[in-house]
Amino acid sequence: MQFEVIAKCHTTRARVSRMNLTHGVTMLPTFMPVATQAAIKGLTPQQVEALGVTLILNNTYHLNLRPGMKVLNQAGGAHKFQGWHRNLLTDSGGFQLVSLSKFTTITEEGALFLSPFTGEPTMLTPEESISIQHSIGADIIMQLDDVVSSLTTGPRVAEAMERSVRWLDRCIKYHEGSGKKSTQNLFAIVQGGLDPHLRHQCLDAMIQRKNDISGYAIGGLSGGEEKDVFWRIIKLCADKLPEDRPRYSMGIGFAEGRNFLLHLLVCVALGVDMADCVFPTRTARFGVALTHAGPLNLKLSKHEADMNPIDKSCPCPTCTDGTSRAYLHHIVTHETAAAHAVTIHNITFQAQVMGGARDAILSGTFPEYLRSFFAGYFGDGGYPEWCVNALRSVGVDLLQDHPVNLIPGSGAKWEYAN
Amino acid sequence: MPMSTSRQSCSLSFTIAQASISKSLFSPRVGTLSLTRNGDGNIDIDTPGVIVNTSRGVVPHLSREQYKQCSSVRWVHVPFETFLEHKPPVPTLQTGQDPLHRFLGYPSDKCVVSMSLRDPHDGREVPSNGNAFVSANTIRGVRKVSPDEWRSYALACKPDIVVPLSDTPFNPSPYSQKRLTKSIERSFTWLTHFLQPIEGSHPFNVFVHLAGGASIAARTAFSESLLETLHGKDADMVKPLKSLDEGVTGYQLDLVPLRLALSGVINIDTSPVTTDPGIKTSDIVPLLRSSLFPLPTHKIRLVNSSKSPHEMLTLIQQIGVDLFDAQWAQRAADIGIALDFSFPVGNWGTRRRSNGKQDLGHNLFDPSYAEDFAPLANCFIGEATRNGDVPVCMCGACSPLSPHTRISHSSLDESAPNGGEVGQPFTRAYLHHLLHTHEMSAHSLLVLHNLAVLDAFFAGVRNAIRSLGNETFDLEISRFFQEYDEELLVFSESEAMWGEVEMARGKGRLTREKAKQTTV
Ligand SMILES: [Zn+2]
Ligand SMILES: [Zn+2]
Repeated sequence: MQFEVIAKCHTTRARVSRMNLTHGVTMLPTFMPVATQAAIKGLTPQQVEALGVTLILNNTYHLNLRPGMKVLNQAGGAHKFQGWHRNLLTDSGGFQLVSLSKFTTITEEGALFLSPFTGEPTMLTPEESISIQHSIGADIIMQLDDVVSSLTTGPRVAEAMERSVRWLDRCIKYHEGSGKKSTQNLFAIVQGGLDPHLRHQCLDAMIQRKNDISGYAIGGLSGGEEKDVFWRIIKLCADKLPEDRPRYSMGIGFAEGRNFLLHLLVCVALGVDMADCVFPTRTARFGVALTHAGPLNLKLSKHEADMNPIDKSCPCPTCTDGTSRAYLHHIVTHETAAAHAVTIHNITFQAQVMGGARDAILSGTFPEYLRSFFAGYFGDGGYPEWCVNALRSVGVDLLQDHPVNLIPGSGAKWEYAN
Repeated sequence: MPMSTSRQSCSLSFTIAQASISKSLFSPRVGTLSLTRNGDGNIDIDTPGVIVNTSRGVVPHLSREQYKQCSSVRWVHVPFETFLEHKPPVPTLQTGQDPLHRFLGYPSDKCVVSMSLRDPHDGREVPSNGNAFVSANTIRGVRKVSPDEWRSYALACKPDIVVPLSDTPFNPSPYSQKRLTKSIERSFTWLTHFLQPIEGSHPFNVFVHLAGGASIAARTAFSESLLETLHGKDADMVKPLKSLDEGVTGYQLDLVPLRLALSGVINIDTSPVTTDPGIKTSDIVPLLRSSLFPLPTHKIRLVNSSKSPHEMLTLIQQIGVDLFDAQWAQRAADIGIALDFSFPVGNWGTRRRSNGKQDLGHNLFDPSYAEDFAPLANCFIGEATRNGDVPVCMCGACSPLSPHTRISHSSLDESAPNGGEVGQPFTRAYLHHLLHTHEMSAHSLLVLHNLAVLDAFFAGVRNAIRSLGNETFDLEISRFFQEYDEELLVFSESEAMWGEVEMARGKGRLTREKAKQTTV
């Protein structure tokens, strides 16, 4: 991996960088659409590439079940299997194992679970996780970490953090010996729950191992925690992580639904470079299109005779073709083509928001960019208090020219914009 | 409702190749259908050829940009009834040139769009039609549509081709003599109404559904009535036309209502592969002939809902049919089948069944494809793996092209380095995986491929009609029957597995996910 920071925001911690991997260049900050089963919902890899997407995520847990490693090995890896020629990232499989399987037990050796196929007890060790990810062949791979819910308290949190460091060493060792180091890049995952002290400990230990690690992920924040705690942990980690490594905030799109965009922008302002996101594709199936004025529910009858596209200024194929809201309303949830059309738009929209952030950071206007994004997204409906607090911590006052109410708690609950 | 009555010129011509003219009334023929819209360039479609079906206005599983890239999407047929859910129907509100094309995203320089009220594949029971309306199906219930309304919708939508209302019964057969007579009379009256001249504008290109149900006498009578010189009120209405047939460009033969009339049952499933297997193509041929016999031979003959390429070949051979809809191949894509056959029969077949016949395609749900890294068909390979004289399939699954453009999201983004390069074919193993993980792109890729295979089949048929004598053509057809399984066993197997996977996925899943969405 070649990683180069190109520009830094003068006010916030945001930065623009260029990450060159085996399958080309990805400009950061970026979001990664999720292709859980080796496909972005309804789109061919060629269609996804045409949208300007350069990095997607596959889930190791799912690919290990289906098609399985035997098939992936025969295919020559997941890139070839799914016909995707750009960059690919895989998770370790551990998070899904814990969240999708009821009988997972963590031991020092690894995660013990019942195989969904045979019902036999099966062990996912750090070595095994890396070995599976080698078969998949992703450009960025993740260490196996000991995942605990962000709501867990007590000694288990420290234990999980310490074990994650030990497992990182095993992942590094296995990866070193594999001969895959030149094509696949290992990321460490910072754990430590919501305890700043544990986070610092974990960061210290993992930063020590920097020479063996291509990048850092911030893990253990799965959505259940207080928002004000969430951003403080992100900030704590991003502040301490080394300049010359990409920073990936894991799984925030998983839990955050339509607030995802806010998390994404706040994280960027705090110094995060990458985040994954199932939301634009998942929500598209139900006819929800993302816009700068908030989400648009195309199922609502108010759209049934509206000849306007989702967003006149959007460069996606759906909008540039003049696909009307009326047309989408007619086919939403009836025809898979509706999901394709909205997915195309939503992925493009997300990529535009992140591309716009890159340009704004480069031209020194990122604080204005944040302010105008929030103003457009919420109008006069009030801002989530935690976003305002988080951005104040990096010198941006959202309320500067736009005095609105603050909404406390986990964030805004708003009606669809249209 | 604001409605412009002025239509730009849109003329459709049909030329039968010289070589096939001299033969008899029903012999196989090749031709070219040529559409000139607004004085722009032609859209040429070779016949025998294929029409692509739509559902709620879209080609199922394809995105709009795929319409542009997929060379098989040249003529799409739009059943209009789903648009009756909104009043006025929303496509009638679209402004500008070629409103229906525009509303549905079909490129007007590439696609012919035809429109009928009913979906020709829908055999479900609907309440009887009246003297002045047709009953149509929508998800919000049955809607009555009058001839006036239908004409106004066509005027507003400006499709290239319109099918006027026809009184086709969709309630329990057998139909009495009286019912058949009424059906013919209504269809005649509604056609007359439809063919009234449009003030200051070019007339519609009209394809007429040949009525008469399962009765040879009734079918003959309806066709003869089209040719009669009109008198009195009828003549005044359609002036300057002397007979209705003068205003008709093509003849449409819908097999679903015909099979229903023959079998005397109500079909609640619209899929042509599960219609009563007792009804043979040979039962249908005399009925179709009785419709076409009185009529001029130089007009286009279109058949909807043909159930297999075997039937298509028979109808080409024995009736001289020019166009077929692709419903059969599109359905195959729905249920996970990658088509793999050619005409004339080639050297690269699929597996043989115990009855000695080859399947027309691969049921990619089958576990035997899990580790099969071959492209979708044996008869065709991808452009990237071109090899000797094996035909190439240029579809988006076998010969995927890297994108010509990439959207740039910031000033720093690099542009596409390799636009338009042909990539490796998608494999059976990958599609097997997508089907079992409910990934929708499986069906997109299969639609692209299956339409291309059907296209290649018709290209082979045209070539054979052009270059072979009648006898050799007949011989090739019997060879096709000998080689390929007409029972479509692979379809029933695939449909069963598709059903299981859909079941396992659970009907409630979408609802559950939806609930999850709204609580976030
Ligand atoms: Zn768009
Ligand atoms: Zn193909």
